[in-house]
Amino acid sequence: MIFVRKSLSIADMGKLSNLTGDQIRGIKLLGLPFTYALLLLALPLGAIVLFSFWTQDFMTVDTTFTTRNYQEIWNSPIYGLLLRRSLMVSGIVTLVTVLLAYPVAYFISFHVKPSKKSLWLFLITIPFWTSYLIRVFLWKVILGYNGVINSGLLELGVITEPLTFILYNVNAVIITLAHAFAPFAILPIFVVLEKIDRSLLEASQDLGESKFSTFLRVTLPLSMPGVVGAVLIVFIPTIGDYVTPELMGGAGGKLIANMIQTQFLQLNNAPLGAALAIVAMVCVTAISLFFVFLNRKYLASRS
Amino acid sequence: MTDLIKLRGVQKYYGDYHALRDINLTIRAGEFFSLLGPSGCGKTTLLRVIAGFEGVSNGSVMISDKDMKDVPPNQRPTNMVFQSYAIFPHLTVAENVAFGLRKSKMSKAEKADAVAEALKMVGLDGYGKRAAHALSGGQRQRVALARALILKPKVLLLDEPLSALDKKMREHMQVELIRLQRAVGITFILVTHDQEEALVMSDRIAVMFAGEIGQMDDPETLYRRPKSRRVAEFIGKMNFLPATVTSVGESIGLDIAGFGQTDVPQDQAPEGAKPGEAAIGIRPETLAILFEGETASRHEAPATVDEVVYYGDMTYYDVRVKDVPEPLTIAMKNLIGRPVLEVGAQTRIAWDERAIVVF
Repeated sequence: MIFVRKSLSIADMGKLSNLTGDQIRGIKLLGLPFTYALLLLALPLGAIVLFSFWTQDFMTVDTTFTTRNYQEIWNSPIYGLLLRRSLMVSGIVTLVTVLLAYPVAYFISFHVKPSKKSLWLFLITIPFWTSYLIRVFLWKVILGYNGVINSGLLELGVITEPLTFILYNVNAVIITLAHAFAPFAILPIFVVLEKIDRSLLEASQDLGESKFSTFLRVTLPLSMPGVVGAVLIVFIPTIGDYVTPELMGGAGGKLIANMIQTQFLQLNNAPLGAALAIVAMVCVTAISLFFVFLNRKYLASRS
Repeated sequence: MTDLIKLRGVQKYYGDYHALRDINLTIRAGEFFSLLGPSGCGKTTLLRVIAGFEGVSNGSVMISDKDMKDVPPNQRPTNMVFQSYAIFPHLTVAENVAFGLRKSKMSKAEKADAVAEALKMVGLDGYGKRAAHALSGGQRQRVALARALILKPKVLLLDEPLSALDKKMREHMQVELIRLQRAVGITFILVTHDQEEALVMSDRIAVMFAGEIGQMDDPETLYRRPKSRRVAEFIGKMNFLPATVTSVGESIGLDIAGFGQTDVPQDQAPEGAKPGEAAIGIRPETLAILFEGETASRHEAPATVDEVVYYGDMTYYDVRVKDVPEPLTIAMKNLIGRPVLEVGAQTRIAWDERAIVVF
C-alpha cells in the first residue's frame, strides 16, 4: 500500500484501475507481508492500547475512554517498585550475559579453527534442545536448599548450613536468565567479530600497538554494533519474562511481568494489565532507542 | 649505501609445506627493492617475515645489525602498507594517519601538524576530517602510505599496494611512489606479481619461484641477462630456440636452429657453459621485420608471418622461420609509413647476436 502511495501522483490517485504492470506487481509482493504484519503485529498492539484506556466494571468491560488505569499505576507505589526492579534485573542480566558472552564469541571467532567454528556454535545451542521450563526447573535443582551446590559445598565442609541467597530471590532470577539468554548474546557478537578484517589488527600492531591495546583501539570499537545488538536482544525479552521470576523469584523476586499476568488471569482486570504492559513497553522502547542512538556512530562507519 | 636488512638462511615451513627455502638477501639503506614472483612463490610470506607477522623456522633476520628473532611487529622499525590497505573504518582520515602516534612524545598541536604534513605529502591535503569509509581506492592507499610514513620507519613494506587500482591509477601511483621514496629516503620493499611494475619502480629486484630467489639484480640486468629460463619467461616476453654450444673459450660458439652459426661473448652465457645441447633466448623487440629496402646490420633470415596482433603503438608478429620449431614473436613499433603486414606475408627478419642469452 505504501508502494502505491509513493509511486502514484495525486492526479492518478482517483483511478487505481490504471495501474501499470510494475505497480500491480509491487502490490502483489507487498500485500501478503503487509497483511501479515498488520494482523500479527499492529492489531494485537492496537488492542492492548485500546484496552488500557478502558476499565473493568466487575464482570464487564466499560468502554468509555479514561486514563484511570494510568493514574492508578502512577499513584500506587507497588507498580513503580516492580517496574524499577524489572529494569534493574534486566539491566544486570544484560550486563552479566554480554560480559560473559563476549569472551566466548571472541574465542570462537579468533582462536577456533575455521572448520570447527560451526561445531562450536552448534554446541552452544545445546541447552535449547530442551524446553525453557525444564531448564528453569534444573536451575532449581542446582540452586535449591538441598540442591547440587548446597549439598556439594556441605559435603566438602566449605559451608555448615545451606546457602539461602541463591534461590527464591532476585539472584536466582538473574542466574537463570543470564544462562537462558547467553546464546542470544554470543551470536551477534560472534558475527561482528567474524566480519572484522584481520589485516586491521595486523595494521594496528604494525603501527606500534600491543595485542591488548589493539583490542581496545580496533577490535572492541569495531565489535560495538554486535555488543549493542546483544544488549537489545537480551534486555528486551528479559523485561517481559514472567516464567523465571514466577518459579525462581519467590516473594521478593517478582517482576512487572508477573503483575501483568496477575492482572489479566487472576484479578480479571485486563485494562489495568494492558496499561501496565504499555508502561513497561514505553520504558523498554526509551532505553532501546538510547542504545540504538549510541550505536549509530558505529553503524554509520560500516556503510 | 650501508646494509640495512640481512636475511641469512631463512626457512619457513607451514606444516609440511616449505614456503621459504634458504633465503639469503641483503637490502641496502635507501634502496627501492622489489620481491617479484608468481602467486604462491613466498614473496608475501617473506615480507611478513621481515615485518614480524611470521616467525622463521630457521635462519635469521637482522635489521640494522639487530637480530629480530624475538622482536614483535609493534617494536620493529618497519611499517607496512597492506594489500587491502587496512584503513580503520571507525576512524577519520586524520585519526587513521595519527594512529601510530599515540605513544610519541609530541604535543597535540605537533601531532596535528605532523598529520597535516603527512597528508600533504601524499596529496590528500584537507582530507583529514573525512570518514575513512568514504574514500576511493586510490585515496585509501594514500592514507595507508601517510599512516606508515608519519612514523618515519627505517623500512616501508608494501604488499601489492597497486593491485587493487585500475590501470591508469596504477601507473600514476607508480610514479608517485618513486617520487615519494626519493623524497623521504626510506628503504622501500615492494611485493608484486607485476613484472612491469617491478621494472619501473625498483633499484633492485629479487625474482622468486617456489620459495627460492631465482635471480637478484637491477632491472636492466634482469631483463637483458636473465640467468635462467624461468626468470626470462616471467619477465617480459622471450623467444626460445634450440641451439648447440660448439666451442667454449673467450667467446661461446653457437649453432642456432634456423639462424645458423655465431659467436657471443662469455657474459651472455651461464658460467661454466659446456659444449653440447642448449637453448638461446631472444627478446621480441631485439628482432626486427625487414621492410622493403631495409637491410640487416648483422644477420637476417627469411620468414613467413603467422599471426598479427595490433596494439596501436606496436604490432606483435608471430613469424615462422625455417628449422625453428616454434613461431618467433617480434615487436615492431608502428612508425610513420611503416605498413602492417598481413598473415601469410613473406618477409625477412633481422637478428643480432648481441641480444642473445644462452641458457
